[in-house]
Amino acid sequence: MSQVASLLIALPLISAFFVPVLKQIKKSLIFPYLTLITLLQTGIAGWVFYEVYTTGKPILIYAGGWRPPVGINLYIGPFAALFILIIAIVSFLTSLFSMRMVKVEPIDKYAMLFLLLMLGATGMIATGDIFNLFVFMEITAITAYALTAYNKTGEAAEASMKYMILGGIGSSFFLIGVALIYGVTGTLNMAQLAEFASAGKIMPVVAQVGLSLIIFGLAVEAELFPLNAWAPDAYQAAPHPITVMFSAFVVKAGLYAMARILYLLQKVNGWDSVLKLLLIMATLTVIFAELSALRQKDVKRMIAYSSIGQVGLIALAFSLGTQAGVDAGVFHMLNHAIVKTMMFLGVGYVGVMVGGTRIEDFRGLGKRMPLTALSLSVGAISTVGVPLFNVFWSKFRIIVATIQAGFVWPAVLVLFASVVEAVYYFRLLHVMWFAGEGERIKEGWIVVFLLLLALIIVGIGIYPTPVWEIVKRAGSDIFAVKVYINNVPLLGVVQ
Amino acid sequence: MGEVVSMLKRLLSIILILIIGYWIAQGLANVPFGEDRMLVGKYYLQHVKEQTGAVNAVTAVVVNYRGFDTLGEVTVLFIASTGVAALLWRKRRERTAKTEGSLVLTTGSKLLFPFIMLFGMYIFIHGHLTPGGGFPGGATIATGFLLMYLAFIVYEIPHRGFEVTEGLAGMSYVLVGLIGLAIGGYFLFDWIWQTWHFGTSNLGRLFSGGFIPVIYTLIGIKVGTELSGIIDNMLKEEVKE
Repeated sequence: MSQVASLLIALPLISAFFVPVLKQIKKSLIFPYLTLITLLQTGIAGWVFYEVYTTGKPILIYAGGWRPPVGINLYIGPFAALFILIIAIVSFLTSLFSMRMVKVEPIDKYAMLFLLLMLGATGMIATGDIFNLFVFMEITAITAYALTAYNKTGEAAEASMKYMILGGIGSSFFLIGVALIYGVTGTLNMAQLAEFASAGKIMPVVAQVGLSLIIFGLAVEAELFPLNAWAPDAYQAAPHPITVMFSAFVVKAGLYAMARILYLLQKVNGWDSVLKLLLIMATLTVIFAELSALRQKDVKRMIAYSSIGQVGLIALAFSLGTQAGVDAGVFHMLNHAIVKTMMFLGVGYVGVMVGGTRIEDFRGLGKRMPLTALSLSVGAISTVGVPLFNVFWSKFRIIVATIQAGFVWPAVLVLFASVVEAVYYFRLLHVMWFAGEGERIKEGWIVVFLLLLALIIVGIGIYPTPVWEIVKRAGSDIFAVKVYINNVPLLGVVQ
Repeated sequence: MGEVVSMLKRLLSIILILIIGYWIAQGLANVPFGEDRMLVGKYYLQHVKEQTGAVNAVTAVVVNYRGFDTLGEVTVLFIASTGVAALLWRKRRERTAKTEGSLVLTTGSKLLFPFIMLFGMYIFIHGHLTPGGGFPGGATIATGFLLMYLAFIVYEIPHRGFEVTEGLAGMSYVLVGLIGLAIGGYFLFDWIWQTWHFGTSNLGRLFSGGFIPVIYTLIGIKVGTELSGIIDNMLKEEVKE
């Protein structure tokens, strides 16, 4: 029965392949079709989530019926179940928004790429095989390159070009890392790799070089400091719904993959130094992103920088090497996904209605589009980390975990970055509510979803315990490698 | 002044590359060379014939044992062609080639075309027996179309048909996988070999190899139409009315 969960991969694939046929039948059906498929995907993901969290056992999918390490297996544990659900919900929301926001032709190609971006991120999070991870990462990355340039403006082409070159270099490094690790162990299965690492069967030098190469490769997707130069341009130039997907789950998939591989090999000698490297990169990401956001004139770009800053915070939490840090990081991942989905959708909506996303376009938005402005304000206040909003809890936990792990300086620097964040977000609030005049613009049904998301933000902020319980289980899925190894029954033929 | 800076840049990058190269070589030096490190590999070689019916171990691994990766790779190619088409999309696009090819070129291409097609099909149909498979076969077929494009200034593939074929081939691949889910209980399960035992007495001949030839035929069609589509898109220019 549990094998039916492989529909999470099969459904978006077969639907994407069907689009060229559908286009010949009737072109106006494409967007409703997209919404229907993402809704179906949400249904399956919801079922998987329910299964995993009620039985407490992960769902293992054996592609082709081969046991690992001979075949490829998908591992849908608490973490994957949670984030696959988030991916599906966010995709559903953005597909609804796409109807209003994407008017550029060819929309049939847009629909295919949209579905495959969702598929790629789902696969990255679900897979239990290190080379399969590479394949899904390529699916995600190449779709992202194409979608970044989709608007066909000069700046979109430039952003996509930067992203493509950096991403190409990154994935080559990743592949070299995989080759090194395969060369020394003879296996690609994550559980078996973890077993070898625990038994001390991987030579330290190889493990260190391989691991750093893999981390380096994934850092491009995960937008960590020296490798994230593509991100602000791509976020700004991509179609509005695609920006939402980038921020809500494409980055998260990269971060998760990084954390997963890192913690699988935690018994390897020299692991600490890789962790330190990641810690430095993460702290620098937060500081540079927040300082750059301060100077932005374009709101979409400003929020893009803010998103990178938050991602740095998650990476910081993952690089602590403690259970508390990982839990806090996953919590922040969840909160950030909700908040940034709402922010980018709201900004995109304003961009479509007003005709631009520069800061002048937001003058007097509180009078022109009060409901959109209200939800944007909730998002802004929450991101800064004000109590009674969801991000406060996760930020607080990350900083506590950082200090507990003995890193005082990173904690101080990150707190400083939060102050910087407050400055530019409150400037935006000021512009929206206390400056400018304007006619009332009629807001459509889209606002209902924005307000719903705002409500969730406040809801988690006031009553975080149930979400925290879910997140803790997802966090231990990454941290507790022993459990992971035991959960994947390996074929006994090799040794 | 500028020259000094560019020299310095070059020098720095050479030093950096040397450092990275040394570092990776350090890692590589610790991977034992020539020793038997085959863990999973041995399993494949020992069981490939009875478990998959393929004589070509590589295709058995690629399509059967690790078929999930191949499905992903097919998708990557699909994305590439869709992406190119999306980025080069204009309302009206036509070929604007100007010089006619010589008679020898056009006649030669016409004669060569069916042979290339035939050979391409041969490659992907015999994937489980000989080296090759869906990807090289499909690429060979696309080469045939490229030849036609380069030899004739007005040649154009019927893209509507090509697009639909490409989509249908991809859907059939996933469908074969889903039939496996229905019959054998696993996605991408080789139901032709494992459940039907079709061709078990025929090992090493054309009608064997479980679903490998079926999938490779689909991949061959898909890759062929996809690469031709990319060529078609890249060779056309916008026409202003």
